[in-house]
Amino acid sequence: MKKINLKINGSEYSLEIDENMRLIDLIRDVVGLTGTKEGCGEGECGACTVIMGGVTVNSCMVLAFQANGKEILTIEGVKGKGNDKLHPIQKAFLEEGAVQCGFCIPGMVLSAKALLDENNTPSREEIREGISGNLCRCTGYNKIVDAIEKAAYYLVKEAEDNEI
Amino acid sequence: MKFKTVGHSEVRVDAMAKVIGEATYPEDFYMKDMLWGKTLRSTKAHAHVNLDTQDAEKMEGVIKVFTYRDVPDNHHGVVLKDHEVFCSKKVRRIGDPLAFVVAISNKIAEKALKTIKVEYNEIPAIFDPVEAMMKDAPLVHENHKSNIIFHYKLRRGNIEEAFKKCAVIIEKQYKCGMVDHGFLQPEAGLAYMDGDTVVVCAATQYPHFDQLEVAEALHISQEKVRIINPAVGGAFGGREDITMQVHLALATKVLGRPIKTVYSREESFLAHSKRHPMVMTYKTGADANGKLLAMEAELVGDTGAYASWAINVMRKAGVHATGPYEIPNVKVDSYAVYTNNPFAGAMRGFGATQVPIAHEQQMDMIAEELDIDPITIRLINGFTLGSTTATGQVLSDSVPLKECIEAVENSLGIKNHYEEKMEELAMEAGVGI
Amino acid sequence: MEINKTFQETEVEAVLSLLDQYQDNSKIIAGGTDIIIQLHQGRVNPEVLIDISNLNEIKEIKQIEGRILIGSATTFTSLMKSQVIPKNLWGLIEAASQVGSPQIRNAATIGGNICNGSPAADIVPPLLALNSQLVIANKMTERKVPLETFFIDKGKVDLKNNELLSYIEFENIKENQGLGFTKLGLRKALAISRISVAVFLEMKDGCFNEIRIATGSCGKFAIREKEVEDFMRNKQVTDELIEAGANLYSNIILKRLAGRHGSDYKSEAIKGIFKDGLGKATHLAKKGGV
Repeated sequence: MKKINLKINGSEYSLEIDENMRLIDLIRDVVGLTGTKEGCGEGECGACTVIMGGVTVNSCMVLAFQANGKEILTIEGVKGKGNDKLHPIQKAFLEEGAVQCGFCIPGMVLSAKALLDENNTPSREEIREGISGNLCRCTGYNKIVDAIEKAAYYLVKEAEDNEI
Repeated sequence: MKFKTVGHSEVRVDAMAKVIGEATYPEDFYMKDMLWGKTLRSTKAHAHVNLDTQDAEKMEGVIKVFTYRDVPDNHHGVVLKDHEVFCSKKVRRIGDPLAFVVAISNKIAEKALKTIKVEYNEIPAIFDPVEAMMKDAPLVHENHKSNIIFHYKLRRGNIEEAFKKCAVIIEKQYKCGMVDHGFLQPEAGLAYMDGDTVVVCAATQYPHFDQLEVAEALHISQEKVRIINPAVGGAFGGREDITMQVHLALATKVLGRPIKTVYSREESFLAHSKRHPMVMTYKTGADANGKLLAMEAELVGDTGAYASWAINVMRKAGVHATGPYEIPNVKVDSYAVYTNNPFAGAMRGFGATQVPIAHEQQMDMIAEELDIDPITIRLINGFTLGSTTATGQVLSDSVPLKECIEAVENSLGIKNHYEEKMEELAMEAGVGI
Repeated sequence: MEINKTFQETEVEAVLSLLDQYQDNSKIIAGGTDIIIQLHQGRVNPEVLIDISNLNEIKEIKQIEGRILIGSATTFTSLMKSQVIPKNLWGLIEAASQVGSPQIRNAATIGGNICNGSPAADIVPPLLALNSQLVIANKMTERKVPLETFFIDKGKVDLKNNELLSYIEFENIKENQGLGFTKLGLRKALAISRISVAVFLEMKDGCFNEIRIATGSCGKFAIREKEVEDFMRNKQVTDELIEAGANLYSNIILKRLAGRHGSDYKSEAIKGIFKDGLGKATHLAKKGGV
């Protein structure tokens, strides 16, 4: 057993973990945040995507001890604690019908967030590249790309409104 | 009249939960005192088996190892009851379930699985569905006299006479492979006792039938089984058959504690059905003007080790064998055949997906022989209002096939200039009719 | 055996001491994108894991006296965004950008890609074409080896259990030089390379003054194609020369893969891939001629 400290969705955790535990197991089984999904266990599907240290990673391919001292964002933290207001990405996913079975959605939203944090006016090609590590078997991706495009518009508009 | 929903975009009811990560799929449930289950699966395609589970049972943290001996009625299956809950004497495919280890942790269950000794005595296996139809082929199920479990016959008119009148006849064989649904959420489930009711929580496409199958296998009344279907992470037909539902129900009924199991992606591939691979032999004839006169087809569907929905799938393939074309003389023979391959069942289209590969290629080749373009040949023969299908159904309602083809033709701008326009379009992207 | 100790170090020296102490019982973990699967499948069974993903010293790319040094713990994403890599080295960036997916590139490291010894490692052919050297350290000393001699067999490299690959270095590119890379994968993202080619060129008076070619996914590990290089070096660039070079290349691949799955396909595909990679390199080196 090993003790680690990390921050998930803004909250500090001090946890005892098994040396060979993966980050996804820590997030789901230890902390109880089940929004992060495991679809393949080998970095192909991206359902387990979280943001660690500002970049997306597959949480099935990070060992829990490696997250010591790191800051992690999961789907549960995207909307913000006790905040009823959806993140513009989540709002756009709802409006564009980008959600079907929903299993890829937490990972998709986080990949979209990482993309838009860096580039708030991506082309459709850049959006496709941004979510290229996330598989969806239901939608055929078009509605997801539509949603991210719309989210980008919302975010730019939000930034402009804040300036005024 | 004004509608509340029709004509408007609606956000699906569960989308909000899914977009904030709160939707619960079966693996997201955790209960107090929960135990973990792992399935032992066959690594041979056709073999007599003997299990020695002693070491696993003695392992610290292992509660029980379930085998066929523990199942009151060791059968299930959607159409034929040809699956065993756990194989008793022989395995018929790689991935057949042999035992279910229940332990206090997933890790221990996984370790215990490796200590189970399986003695395989391999017997000749059959992997080709056409060979499996022959008289001397090894039998996948001994209680069937043949590996052919279903033969659908469609007869209309007189094909022999009609072929004599054809200006062109195309005879070809087509094969299509096995396809997995690849739904994104691997199978998972949790079962527990609510009083004397067995509750199974699993992502399924067929909860009412799961209830019946669990009740029958456990020899209890249906009222004592409750199936809860939480969020389902994609299915596409792959969750119509039972996977772990009976295993979980049996374990929780015997042990009285909640049991959870989560399949890996690899086990998911082993556990559920596939799309039927088919061998399709076609003979299609038309007159000099391109009007179809006769079609003969033999369809052989490889259903693997178990029937699942093979009968319905191969019937549907047979019904759709002509494609959306009026053909006055038709003969179709469609078979579902057992082999030792992974079992095939439902997958998007249910048999109607495979046959277009054959009937559409036949149309193109007839068109080419007669120097007619691929659109015209379809407009000459396509179903329209009042058409009679090969099975004798008169299409009395909406049949917009020709309008659809013409809309495609117009949007591509290829009307009357098929050859040169298609060549032009193909320079930019792949185009085909 | 189970992992019973893990270390998350921030100093290279500390890692070298740990390696010296645990040797065979230890494994280095960086991005984890290969080793975690190997651990899961029981293909490696270390008792001790040493995480090097926080060694800032070997996470950066720098230029020193005309040479470029890439720290082994640099992620593919960092390489793609590096300001130190000149435009003519686009082949390196292109190879990095085709690794896995954004998530994989954010974690996976250049050193990991090399030390894993996969024949399909995307970053290896461009580094081979650049005549890269590896800086390998242990607690006592440091040694330099050419990347070309580092690979022993599929999955096997010349790295002892007490050693750490710390840097990859090569001569910085000049104006009349270019590095091109072309990969054939089964799909756009997350595709393991079926075959890949890197071409380094120096142009002078319309000639291939220097040419170095490396192939990936075509044998036990990526290798240099010296026969093709010798054939093309110091010759005037013409369509005929390129055609003849591609045919020679194709024959070499066919011989190398004789009797192996995909040899017909790869020996045919290599022609187009080579021409594509060569075209990119030529374009980048255009200042020197043509």
